[in-house]
Amino acid sequence: MAPITIDRVDKVYPNGFHAIHELCLNVEDGEFLVLVGPSGCGKSTALRMVAGLEEVSSGLLQIGERVVNDVEPKNRDIAMVFQNYALYPHMTVRDNIGFALKLAKVPKKEIARRVDEAAQMLELSEQLDKKPAQLSGGQRQRVAMGRAIVRQPAVFLMDEPLSNLDAKLRVQMRAEISRLQRQLGVTTIYVTHDQVEAMTMGDRVAVLMDGHLQQVDTPQNLYDRPDNVFVAAFIGSPSMNLYEAELLDNQLHIGSHQLTLPESVFVRRPALREYQGRRIVVGLRPEDLEDASITGPVPSGTTITSTVELTESLGSEIVVHFMLDESRVDPGNPDAAEDLSSSAVARFDPRSRCRAGEAIDIAVTIDNLHYFDIDEHTAIWG
Amino acid sequence: MTRSQLLPRLVMAMLLLFTAIPFLTLLSASLQPLGVSPRGLKWPSNPRWSNFVEGYQVADMTPLLMSSTLIVIGVVPISLLIASLAGYGLASLRIPGARWMLLVFIAGLTIPFESLITPLYFQMKSLGVLNTRWAVILALIGLFMPFGVFWMRSHFVSIPNEISEAARIDGAGPWQAFWRVHLPLARPALTSLAILLFLWTWNQFILALVLIDDPSLRTVAGALGAFQSQYGTNVVLLASVSVLIMAPTIIVFVLFRKQFSKALLEGAVKG
Repeated sequence: MAPITIDRVDKVYPNGFHAIHELCLNVEDGEFLVLVGPSGCGKSTALRMVAGLEEVSSGLLQIGERVVNDVEPKNRDIAMVFQNYALYPHMTVRDNIGFALKLAKVPKKEIARRVDEAAQMLELSEQLDKKPAQLSGGQRQRVAMGRAIVRQPAVFLMDEPLSNLDAKLRVQMRAEISRLQRQLGVTTIYVTHDQVEAMTMGDRVAVLMDGHLQQVDTPQNLYDRPDNVFVAAFIGSPSMNLYEAELLDNQLHIGSHQLTLPESVFVRRPALREYQGRRIVVGLRPEDLEDASITGPVPSGTTITSTVELTESLGSEIVVHFMLDESRVDPGNPDAAEDLSSSAVARFDPRSRCRAGEAIDIAVTIDNLHYFDIDEHTAIWG
Repeated sequence: MTRSQLLPRLVMAMLLLFTAIPFLTLLSASLQPLGVSPRGLKWPSNPRWSNFVEGYQVADMTPLLMSSTLIVIGVVPISLLIASLAGYGLASLRIPGARWMLLVFIAGLTIPFESLITPLYFQMKSLGVLNTRWAVILALIGLFMPFGVFWMRSHFVSIPNEISEAARIDGAGPWQAFWRVHLPLARPALTSLAILLFLWTWNQFILALVLIDDPSLRTVAGALGAFQSQYGTNVVLLASVSVLIMAPTIIVFVLFRKQFSKALLEGAVKG
């Protein structure tokens, strides 16, 4: 067990591609840190640098007290779980799990004991004599975990370990990995592009985009106080609705719609006062929008009137698409190329009776709105 | 059967006949009474199976079979070892100039083997192995390398990189990764290559003829010379010995036919 310190680490490939820009991250001893971002954001590269599979171009990489920039992967006291599991197809599950110990010349008895222990922990005891090809996806994933656990390393590195599983199994394995990590208390860096995985598993989550660290914080803080438009849109599902707006005398004009901002908003975000009379970006989370006909009476200046375009009933909620006559803002996520002409999204209580084509009053939880600088795309707090 | 299926089947049937008829002709000729000159495919009324025994004795095939076996034993394992080491190096290790080396090997594939016979003769002479089996063994190992290395490299390239990386993190150096992970995984590719190299070595004729004077040190194909003289050719015994020489190849093919067709397909897709 050891903390990891990543200090102004850069990665530049020989072809000149700058994959990571001055990354600074501290992972505490025993912490579960999730690196999340769209594909090509550099998260896997960062993980592979910690593993020693990619060289560090500049900066300092520390595991525990030791600088490991030039240390071979096998001497870093790490274990890694790969996206495609990378099991050795010709070896049995037992040999797969014990391979590292065999190479380290651990006595045979000790290997057998540790492999059995890991297998028990992962409910693989019945499968020990099978080859990987005879296992299901979930079992293979467990073998990959077993291979990591059995070495009792200081650090776990996981590179999208669940992305090859179907949705149901993923939810189950998500919980299992979290449980194991807590049980073993091993410092873990976990890479994923799935924000749900990031939010549910991480003690803290680091959001990366184009090789730049956007924000690192607890899942709840990322959701409540995103530092910029990208993080705001990336965390949460469905995505935050981001629109241009104008702030005039405490009135927020989103196209032809008007919302009144109470004084409390300016108390919490003093810097917002300086934006009076200017255009800003406003963010409305779908869960902060509700069908006004079922909320009971709401104060004036807290509703938007629009036309329902489409409803998607999920049983527990209804996802409602509606139009706003204002320009949408592109958060810059290459995986979710924003259709800027598309509609806004709200999550209504299933009691809502709204139907496509009908006019609707939408109640907005004003206190939960997010505000960003229109040029910098950074959050306005003060 | 639809029309679109009929045509390919007809073509296949024709090709099969083209392959099978010469072989059946050879077999029927080998069973004729001694002294006749068989013409075309004609099954004898009393097939003389003893021709095989007689041909074997006349050509004195035992030392020749031994010789061929020794040459195969000398060529195939060493070629497999060198080809897999080189293929692994070119595919998986970071070697300066690896690309150029690969190009040289590929260029080697394009050189007609006959054009190398004369230089090989002088090379073997200067090595002092002329007129020994080593001349054929060394020459064949060298000649098989472009294909063998290319073949094994194609296999190693197809292995996902993560497996090498997992081995690296598990603590395996390049040697351990090769012996414990990559070589066991290469078994299908190695088997196919072994079969191909066996066939090519077994059927080798001209190289042995040029590099070795003593007929008993040559390959088994040299046995055919016994039935051909200035004054005439014993066609029946020649045919029966030809069948005997082909027998091991056919047996190997029958035993490994799955591997063999896989090997040919692999070549078609990757080569």
